[in-house]
Amino acid sequence: MKRIVFHRLFGVLCLTIMLGMGVMSGVAYAQQSGAVPGNTTGSVNDSEFWRSIRQGGQGLVSIPNKTAGIMIQSEGEEWRSLRNGPLSTYGGYLLALSLGAIVVFFLVRGRIKITGGRTGRAVPRFSQPERWIHWFVASLFILLGLSGLLLMFGRYVIQPIIGKSAWSAVASASLQGHNLLGPMFVVALLIMLGVYMKDNIWQKGDLTWALKGGFLSKGHPPSWKYNLGEKSWYWLLFFAGLAISTSGLLLDFPWLVERVQQLQLAHLVHAGAAVVLIAASLGHIYLGTIGVEGALDGMTYGYVDEKWAEEHHGWWAEEAMKTRGDVIEGAGETMPPEKAPAE
Amino acid sequence: MTFLEIVEGPLWTLASSVFLIGAAWRIFGIIRLGRKKDISIPRASALLGAIKGQFLHFVPHGGFSFRTRYHLIAGYMFHLGLFGLLIYAAPHVLFLKENVVGFEWVALPRWGFILTAEIAFTGLILLWIRRISDPVMIQLSDADDHIGSWLTFLTMLTGCMALQESHDSLRAVHMLFVDIWLIYMPFSRLMHSVTFMFSRGYTGAFFGRRGVVP
Amino acid sequence: MSVDKAIEVLKSNIDASAASYLDACVHCGQCAQACHFYENTGDVRYTPAYKMDLMRRVYKRHKAPLSGIKRAIGLVPDELTMDDLKEWEDLLYDSCTLCGRCTIVCPMGIDIAGMVRKSREGLVAAGVVPEDLISAAKRAIEFGSPLKITPDVLRKVCAKQEEEIGIPIPIDQEGADYLVILSAMEVLQFYEVIGAIAKIFRQAGVSWTISTDGYEATNIGIQMGDKDIARTLVGRIVGAAEKLKVKYVISPECGHAYSALKWEGPNLMGRAYDFEIIHMLELLDQLQAEGRIKLKGKDDRRLTFHDPCQIVRRGGVVEEPRRLMNMVSSNFVEMDNHGTANICCGGGGGVSSNSRAETLRLKAFASKKKQLDAVQPDALVTACANCRNVLEEAIDDYEMDMPVLGLTELVAEYLDETR
Repeated sequence: MKRIVFHRLFGVLCLTIMLGMGVMSGVAYAQQSGAVPGNTTGSVNDSEFWRSIRQGGQGLVSIPNKTAGIMIQSEGEEWRSLRNGPLSTYGGYLLALSLGAIVVFFLVRGRIKITGGRTGRAVPRFSQPERWIHWFVASLFILLGLSGLLLMFGRYVIQPIIGKSAWSAVASASLQGHNLLGPMFVVALLIMLGVYMKDNIWQKGDLTWALKGGFLSKGHPPSWKYNLGEKSWYWLLFFAGLAISTSGLLLDFPWLVERVQQLQLAHLVHAGAAVVLIAASLGHIYLGTIGVEGALDGMTYGYVDEKWAEEHHGWWAEEAMKTRGDVIEGAGETMPPEKAPAE
Repeated sequence: MTFLEIVEGPLWTLASSVFLIGAAWRIFGIIRLGRKKDISIPRASALLGAIKGQFLHFVPHGGFSFRTRYHLIAGYMFHLGLFGLLIYAAPHVLFLKENVVGFEWVALPRWGFILTAEIAFTGLILLWIRRISDPVMIQLSDADDHIGSWLTFLTMLTGCMALQESHDSLRAVHMLFVDIWLIYMPFSRLMHSVTFMFSRGYTGAFFGRRGVVP
Repeated sequence: MSVDKAIEVLKSNIDASAASYLDACVHCGQCAQACHFYENTGDVRYTPAYKMDLMRRVYKRHKAPLSGIKRAIGLVPDELTMDDLKEWEDLLYDSCTLCGRCTIVCPMGIDIAGMVRKSREGLVAAGVVPEDLISAAKRAIEFGSPLKITPDVLRKVCAKQEEEIGIPIPIDQEGADYLVILSAMEVLQFYEVIGAIAKIFRQAGVSWTISTDGYEATNIGIQMGDKDIARTLVGRIVGAAEKLKVKYVISPECGHAYSALKWEGPNLMGRAYDFEIIHMLELLDQLQAEGRIKLKGKDDRRLTFHDPCQIVRRGGVVEEPRRLMNMVSSNFVEMDNHGTANICCGGGGGVSSNSRAETLRLKAFASKKKQLDAVQPDALVTACANCRNVLEEAIDDYEMDMPVLGLTELVAEYLDETR
């Protein structure tokens, strides 16, 4: 059914374009072999006619999408070579670099443990809404990231292995999934950026944290609720995330733009920003899970161990412990250390 | 036989049989346990209580807010979205017509499908992430809860990934997940889709005869 | 092995309703929010659904349909151990008052309190029960009351009331219409209720009596989940009622006594009674409706009513206390979520008899306090001696200033005695 419609549409399109060309050339004529066509005043000769098309001249079409009257969109070639050239290449390098850096960091530093073990006393760190929106965005980020990576690198990595026709199915699947989930991500991202903004604004002492070596240092320099590294991640997510969202919406709803070039630009922005974000997210995921003992608790249980709080976010811990209520949701007050959430 | 023919043919027959027989057996198994006759003198009708109980628990009452509101919203988003897709997605209408019921009905337009799918996904993801980020749900959840969520999620996702309807293999993958889901269902907590009626009913009857259905 | 006995009891306690509860629970955890023990400690183990876990494991391992297939491939939960029972002893006895508020919020409508009761029976079989409950049960069997109210003590208290109000209190009178029973806490601490009953019944012309064979309304067997003890204790009242040939037994201001007598009693005895059970509040409401009691004046303090869980949410006596309250009070205010959604005092279901659970019970009271703080009453009225005692203790502990009154006494206070 769909295919028939498509064929029909295609037929109409061809027909209208041919008619459009006729209009462009001013007069309908029968081409004679060897003769220079258009021997009437004001007409266009063959080479000019084709040149015009080659340069992106727009004919008339009767379907709503007028841009379909452009037969050759030359800028598209630039987009194509950028996307298949530097963007894919350097994007790939960046991801490899990020992964490599994490492995090296792990080998050198190992898992950052809570010195002296847990106390069993909890400090609330992330509220329920903070956790929901984090995980919601995270889930979609992973799904969109994976399908996006497939779309970007699959043709180099997957296609040679499984062949073109199988790859076309995988690509179709990735694209449909990606387009479906994309708008949900945009809404969720906006909410998350709002929820997390307050504590990610620059605070006095952030620089000290960085100058003392940040998470590369052994001595856990104190920080507020988020250290400068985490804040950078937030703002990267803010700008790159918004860029991805805007460009993604244009790509998902292409009728919002007037010219194909805008879509091509949107795509370059989308893919470029996504690669950067994915590369950075690997670090975020590593530090949030296996990299730092006790960090994941904050985002799952909502509270962290007192010792962890003091070691990693000293200044914040001081304040949080002062305002801590009697009852911490989810954490029994009398919870013995051995019953404290396991990793 | 192609992969698609297998998952839509013999495997589908097997899966739907396991689903039907398994679910029926499970329900029969519960009813078979029976209940002791209550010989206290009722104040009101147990039957009316059971009926009232069915409807009463569709919406929370009694002044619960935070936790409940989250579940209420996410729960309804997911379940309504899921049933919307299950019954009204165009390929489903066609499939059900050809394989199950023999007639067709009005299907969702494409934009309607996408919107419904997004609502369903939002609900399901919200419900699942709560399992990993709420101490109470972490404590309660077991493997079955996660497998059920993921299986449903993957079934929905593969369905949406086949949205272009131009690759048999994608349709086949979706059908494969449908088959797995159908086979898994009677053995799992996904059975709550049926047992909730029993649960509400028994409680409703228990309290109905006491003259109050909380 | 005592664990085996527990497993056997748990298995036999899984009927169609329990099975559908265990199959329907999707572990959503909403019940946590309904539980005053979770809410005020933040301890996830106090989540009501988690308290069903012993039953769940036994069900999934031994009894669930299709569990045979799962067992064959090793996909069933482990068998219960003594350690499990001991861990759940705390969850089932110390942190559950069987108040049943969790059922309201459950999207599946699961009667978790009922499941806790059934689980307690398993623990009883294994002997894993808080010591205080065991000794209370012993006293109940030996002396006729968990608070050692012997027939002699009862007679003395009644005589004293008789003296005070000048109305005879009939004891062991055969052929009376109504048999009044009392909870130990009433006899011991709120004995004015006996005089109040005498006054009201004299005006209403009710023929009544108290029996020295069966006077104790509380039923520790119901609380701890020991059916044999429960049956013995109910049997005493049934025996007394049938001996005196009364038409009605009045369930007093005591929460679980009503459940024990009216709803569980006949099933424990295995037969219907020759008499009827009526709750004191139902009777007072009925007497008022029939015009048999006349009141004069009203209490103008700001009063609110604490719904005893077993009488209201789980008993069905919802509107009667409200009508009575409006009769005696000109300034009666309802708390939020009153009636069937009311918050428990914190000491029902045997928790108040379990000294080990005292800290926890007082902590759980914070939910009730929140409810009270919202309406700021001058006094709190209730209709359960256990609630009353628990509330008084907690109010004292929280340094609040609020008397707790019994509804029957309040009605008696405003009787028009000129008639």
